[in-house]
Amino acid sequence: MSDDWVDPVIEAYKKDVDVTLLIEQLRRTPEERMRRIEDLQHAMLELAKAGRRTK
Amino acid sequence: MTNLGKQLALLVGGGVDFIVIGGMAAAAHGSARATLDLDVVYSRAPSNIERLATLLAPHKPYLRGAPPGLPFKFDPETIRHGLNFTLVTDLGDFDFLGEVVGGGTYAELLTHTIEIDAFGVRCRYVDLATLITLKRAAGRPKDFEAIAELEILLSKTEKR
Repeated sequence: MSDDWVDPVIEAYKKDVDVTLLIEQLRRTPEERMRRIEDLQHAMLELAKAGRRTK
Repeated sequence: MTNLGKQLALLVGGGVDFIVIGGMAAAAHGSARATLDLDVVYSRAPSNIERLATLLAPHKPYLRGAPPGLPFKFDPETIRHGLNFTLVTDLGDFDFLGEVVGGGTYAELLTHTIEIDAFGVRCRYVDLATLITLKRAAGRPKDFEAIAELEILLSKTEKR
């Protein structure tokens, strides 16, 4: 498979990528980017806990 | 869950030879997708295995998702006999990979890394193009969205 081969499946997924989020991320330093992902982890955990409490 | 600052400081401070791959490497390159663990490829050199086992021991490493009470020890012998370990520790979740599909060993990946300063430590992260190669080689449908995002990031960073 050559390096310039284009996977039509991946191309289809690209239509749904939120590029504005990527542009925002690229404005940050690598550490700031990773910290945001950790913040997201904590938010997901809190939501999961809240979901379990309401069941 | 991760606590990247502490996890990276532990490995770097203890002199472990490793490369960050996976979702956190993707985040360092600009991905906006969530990940829950720290994936690293570690050197299988005997001295590195010793360092890794010694450093992790106080942090209660245990097989993630395994039932409690198994006689698991993350010691040099276990590491030598195994290859890839998905662990939970009191610092956060780690995936320690001796080899990765599409990228090979630590030594083979080394030339496809960049050094990044973050959380007060400088360590090696797989470069964006190689990260895409690894995700493609893994061939997992769950990675399709991630590959699409990484390819867009690559095109944007190449334009800079």
